[in-house]
Amino acid sequence: MSLILENISLTIAGHALLKPMSLSVDPGEVVTIMGPSGSGKSSLLSFIAGDAPQPLLGQGKVLLDRTDITGLRPEQRCIGRLFQDDLLFPHMTVGENLLFATPRGPRVEREAIMRTALKRAELEGFENRAPHTLSGGQRARVSLMRALLAKPKAMLLDEPFNKLDAALCSTIRDYTFMHLKARQVPTILVTHDRADAPSGGRIFEISLSGELISV
Amino acid sequence: MAKTRLVKGGVAFFVLALFLLPLLASLAFAFQSGFSAEGWAALWRHPQLWPSLWLSLATGVAGTVLALIAALLIVASLFETRFWQNLSVAMGAMLAVPHVALAVALSFLIMPAGLIARIIGLFLQWQTPPQWVTTHDPFGIALTLALVLKETPFIIWVLAGLLSREDVKLNFANQRSAAFGLGHGSGSVWLRIFIPQLFGNLLWPLVIVFVYGATVVDMSLAIGPTQPPTLATIIWADINSEQVAHNARGAAGTIFISFSLITVLGVAWALTKTLKPLWRALLTEGPSTWKVPTMTGQIKHSSFIGIYALLLVLLVVLSLAKSWPFPQLWPETSFHSWGQISHQSGAVVTSLVLAFTASGTALILLVAWFETMPHHFDRPLLWASLALLGLPSLFVGLGQYQMFLYLGLTGTGLGLFLAHLLPVMAYMMIVLAQGYRAYDLRYMVTAGSLNASLLSNLLRIKWPMLKAQIWAAFAVGFAVSVVQYIPAQLVAAGRFSTLPMEVVTLTSGANRSLLAAFSLLLTVPPLLVYGAAALMGRSRWRHT
Repeated sequence: MSLILENISLTIAGHALLKPMSLSVDPGEVVTIMGPSGSGKSSLLSFIAGDAPQPLLGQGKVLLDRTDITGLRPEQRCIGRLFQDDLLFPHMTVGENLLFATPRGPRVEREAIMRTALKRAELEGFENRAPHTLSGGQRARVSLMRALLAKPKAMLLDEPFNKLDAALCSTIRDYTFMHLKARQVPTILVTHDRADAPSGGRIFEISLSGELISV
Repeated sequence: MAKTRLVKGGVAFFVLALFLLPLLASLAFAFQSGFSAEGWAALWRHPQLWPSLWLSLATGVAGTVLALIAALLIVASLFETRFWQNLSVAMGAMLAVPHVALAVALSFLIMPAGLIARIIGLFLQWQTPPQWVTTHDPFGIALTLALVLKETPFIIWVLAGLLSREDVKLNFANQRSAAFGLGHGSGSVWLRIFIPQLFGNLLWPLVIVFVYGATVVDMSLAIGPTQPPTLATIIWADINSEQVAHNARGAAGTIFISFSLITVLGVAWALTKTLKPLWRALLTEGPSTWKVPTMTGQIKHSSFIGIYALLLVLLVVLSLAKSWPFPQLWPETSFHSWGQISHQSGAVVTSLVLAFTASGTALILLVAWFETMPHHFDRPLLWASLALLGLPSLFVGLGQYQMFLYLGLTGTGLGLFLAHLLPVMAYMMIVLAQGYRAYDLRYMVTAGSLNASLLSNLLRIKWPMLKAQIWAAFAVGFAVSVVQYIPAQLVAAGRFSTLPMEVVTLTSGANRSLLAAFSLLLTVPPLLVYGAAALMGRSRWRHT
């Protein structure tokens, strides 16, 4: 399963943000896209996910598993996302947050899946805790596990390590890449910090003129 | 695509047709009816015009200034103390108490045969009530006192809302630490740093308080001066008169009082401009160790709660009084007033049905609006809502009445409902807009990326996260609906009766027990709904 971007371009209020570009992300690969803020890297993710805000106009195709998903609604695309903030739903327990993402099925099975995910997050027994009682690193791990439970066919990471402190940052980064690789999820990471990119991965940069350049 | 466009169009149509258009049309109708030459000639000939205008303006200004000072003192001494968390809750409950019910209860407390006189009389062996002029006094002192009691919690609520925002709180806490380091005491910090920054946000709430106080009718009838009365009550009598000539004079008076208020606001504005150099000098005077007297804040805050509780108890006791001869502290009790009400429960039912349907409709319309319209479309609605709150309700009420006459809606249930919906929607828009629009949409994106459908996203993520704001807005809408007097009285055209109408009618009668019972009936539903809303909107985690 791979994520393919075909001839995607973005314009905002008549001004070209991103010139036509194509990119293919292989299963388990993490492609990093860099650029200063305002360069359109977050807009590109919004376009791929299908929730680009009003003034943004995008053209081109997004293919997942050789299927064109450009016309689908965001929740039908099976594309997972992680942001700077963990965005755990504050009115749900940790366990409920995970169950929210777990596909439908018998209750017992889903709870077992949820508990396995907790174990992978090294948070066994945390299911009834309120999100705000967890540390930043714990929350980041829950957030990743929640995204993975929905069985995403691709992942989009929008500077997810940005708000973590330096020591935690590298741990969470390795943890995230390890799980994405294990599940063979094609992933696009946008960041302005080169250190965020996995070693040996492909890195691109959006130039000032809106072109995607391999670094 | 066509379907979403249809939904959006429908939402926009209903919000415009039920809120924005009626509001604008009301203003046009009010102006149109207020410009008859005979009306203005009769108004100038009115012997009580100038003294009553003076009374209206004086009570409005005094009530606003005193309430502002009391609110600032309380907020300054309670900010970031352990009382702070509960302050908004207590103030919200006080906000839910209707103005007119408070005025009625206050008059029972301070009138010559009232509770205070009885307690003093107990020690001084009085056998007859003293010759006090404590209610309906010619200077409007009792009315001012009632206004201060009612508006102080409102201003505190506005301030607490601002200061509870995380960004503002953090910012202020940092600024305060910096100022402490420069040798300023807490009082100096408030005076020189906090108040100047907060003042811009207080301006419109103060205008609302002033306009309300200077044009209030029901409160003034319950406790205000009578010889002469306030101008608003004179105008009100004219508008309701059977004589067409009086109606014209009342319409002219409505325009006149509105422009008088604008003049006062203009003078106040000019005054702040001229005083600015003095203010600047005060700001930059240098460190002062002046502290906010913390104790007085706690005392004042608790005394507000105490007075409200006492007034409610007084209403309960009086509603149970069969007879209560003067020196006695406790009446002979019976349930006859409540029995009487159970036989004429029409007003109760009408008021409750209106309150639930109006606030329910407004909630559905507003949520539909927020879900379908882009953020910047809120602006005209917010402006209209704020304008409605800052306009004399006599003015809007008169225009609405004229419009409904034209449309044949007076005396109909639909007309009565629409008259309640207008102010309810305005208040709910203001209460709901900020919280709803501040919602972090990435939560919805995240839920969507976890394969949640739009409906499931709304039902399970967004609305539960916004439930505190949604329930609070409903409670505010409910309370606003229950207390509507001017538009209700005019539009009902004698065909319907609501609780505030009953209360106002009874204020001119002698049956105090029944008046107390109806005042309680007016007070209890909004308080209950406020309590229920606070309970429903509570976070499931004990502490957040």
